[in-house]
Amino acid sequence: MSLQKVPTSLRDILADTLEISPEEVTPELNTEAVEAWDSFRHLQLMLAVEGEYGVQFDPRQIPELTSVRKIQDALESKGVSL
Amino acid sequence: MLSEAERQELRGRIKAAAAEQQPAVLLAEMKQLIRGSAKAAPDAMFCASALEKISDTLVAQKNVRRVKTFIVRSVTLEPLLPFLRVEAALTGLLLDVEMGGYGSYVDDMLNAQGALTRFAPELVLVVLELEDVAGALPELCANGGGEAVEQEIEAAAERMGQMLRGLRARSSARMVVQGFVVPDSSSLGDVGDANVRDSLPRAVERLNERVAALCRSIADCVFFDVDRLAARYGRRQWRDVRMFLSSRLSIAADAFSVYARGMARSSSALFRAPRKVLCTDLDNTLWGGVLGEEGPEGIATGGAFPGNCYLEYQRYLKQLASRGILLAAVSKNNESDVIEAFEMRAADLALSLSDFVAKKISWRDKAESLRELAAELSLGLDSFVFVDDNPVECEAIRRALPEVAVIGAPLDEPWRLLEMLAEEPFFDAVVVTEDDVNRTQEYRAQAQRAELATSAATREEFLASLGIVCTFLPVAEAPLARAVQLLAKTNQFNLTTRRQSAAEVERFASADGGQAIAVRVRDRFGDAGVVGLALAETKGDTCFIDSLLLSCRVIGRGIESALLAEIMQRARRMGSRRVVGEYAPTRKNGLCANFFAEHGFVRSGAENSSKDEPVCYEFDLRAGAVESPAWLTLEGTEEYEFAEGTHVTS
Repeated sequence: MSLQKVPTSLRDILADTLEISPEEVTPELNTEAVEAWDSFRHLQLMLAVEGEYGVQFDPRQIPELTSVRKIQDALESKGVSL
Repeated sequence: MLSEAERQELRGRIKAAAAEQQPAVLLAEMKQLIRGSAKAAPDAMFCASALEKISDTLVAQKNVRRVKTFIVRSVTLEPLLPFLRVEAALTGLLLDVEMGGYGSYVDDMLNAQGALTRFAPELVLVVLELEDVAGALPELCANGGGEAVEQEIEAAAERMGQMLRGLRARSSARMVVQGFVVPDSSSLGDVGDANVRDSLPRAVERLNERVAALCRSIADCVFFDVDRLAARYGRRQWRDVRMFLSSRLSIAADAFSVYARGMARSSSALFRAPRKVLCTDLDNTLWGGVLGEEGPEGIATGGAFPGNCYLEYQRYLKQLASRGILLAAVSKNNESDVIEAFEMRAADLALSLSDFVAKKISWRDKAESLRELAAELSLGLDSFVFVDDNPVECEAIRRALPEVAVIGAPLDEPWRLLEMLAEEPFFDAVVVTEDDVNRTQEYRAQAQRAELATSAATREEFLASLGIVCTFLPVAEAPLARAVQLLAKTNQFNLTTRRQSAAEVERFASADGGQAIAVRVRDRFGDAGVVGLALAETKGDTCFIDSLLLSCRVIGRGIESALLAEIMQRARRMGSRRVVGEYAPTRKNGLCANFFAEHGFVRSGAENSSKDEPVCYEFDLRAGAVESPAWLTLEGTEEYEFAEGTHVTS
């Protein structure tokens, strides 16, 4: 649960996009826990993450990235070192 | 591009400005962040949230206007909204957005009980895809086209026309209609697309032209040429096909900012009039070098580099002047040197000294010069643009006169000045009216009038000596576009400051008991064109004056009284026994606060209401009338028309 687990760059994108404070961003945070995290916000978040790390997700994978940990894992599997 | 440290610092300042409710700071910092950010998406979101927190203060203090906006669309635009909100705020509009459903755009446009109608928007953005409007086009074009392509374009334009006219019939909202991006490639290849008459790219270009023409035919409706933006950006990068096919997102994430900016700029042109005056410095701005040091032969201007950079700028100014933007030279120089330079280098300059309506060439403070110019031209400083290469002068103007738009001319890169001006929406105009074109002449006449004023003994003698003629025109005859332009931009002599749209003006003109009268003014020095407007409506025995306004160029010559008298006479003939008018105070219209009282109106309603609230006045027509001043010659009043033998059918 420690803050270090979510890298700053990813944490800040999540905080801005979901309109929550950076402290609230933990690896466990998921779509259920944040009211604003609806499908449009999710799309917005994916675009921001893609832009930040210079990657493109497969559209079939995008709906499955429903928690911070899953996003982190997907980035790492694309070879991004967080 | 901003560094991460700069970016964080700007974000810190934006947060503080939102917390402390400082709208001017917030907008300035936000512009810097959003234009230079390497992390556009989260920063747009961040700025949109900050805007939300400060929205009330923005509206109250910064002349930012809240606009109820409905987006009719067939594509996903939600991720773009933060960008659109931020860019719109930077152009002075605070969007309150409601989105239509993907599949319901026809219903939104045409159903009188639909979501759009219920929302009652002031602005409607129409964002449709080619496949929605002309879905058959790619297939029809694939084999080289022919008659069927033309018919499909025709039919598509007609479908758009039905929707837009249907909406206009029910709503007076301003409309921005997006065109279509010309496809970057088709199965014919580049050579086929370029050479085959009915290739898909050619066909989409023709469709765009048709839709643009359609928009011109509808009041308060502009065509948003998205293809132009896409071409500027790179059509191949404009769309992320992956995201379009999976999420119907029509624009690639990297292009959001460019798109939102273009959309906001097109929208804001419907709400704001262009600035009217460009004040330019001379040394190192209008020409290269310092005249006082290098002499008239030493300054850089003319066909050879770097003089041609300055020549380009002069040509641009000449273009502005030709559509009625006033040019003023504001320079620290000896006037005789400047006159000499314009004479000796006439062949190398695109402008002559007479192209400048006013000249402030002296060693005085430039802020002082600008204030004087504003007074002489009877224009607000918020219609001024100031261009100067000296950062100190620029900063001094920004501080002393924050309403003036300031452009710092790049001293070492003079070729960049034009692109810097093109980036700014100051002079954007949806229409160019005849009055715009004649404005320069009119301001010159104003200077001559000022001279005569000092020689005439009394005000009335002076006004009589001007030989002023007022012509009243039904708005249907006066160019409607000019009437709406006046409504949009008149701030000082404007009793209610209701920014009525063309559709609303037409309603006053055609309704039973309605009046929509424009006034045109000329005198022995020149023709000022259509400079005033009144809207009124008689219901039962009472005539309500909705709007009465006059361009500041002609205030103080009794024309406002003549316009009021005309409205009241017509109201009486329509059977009114009472005239009711309203004065709604704003930050700028203090000069007409006593207008009704000075014309014998009696204040109605509570005396002790706060000073920011509208005040109502009444006039009993059975007890008398307002007279038009004796020094004015009136034309186009109803008596005049009857006297000329107008046929009246019952």
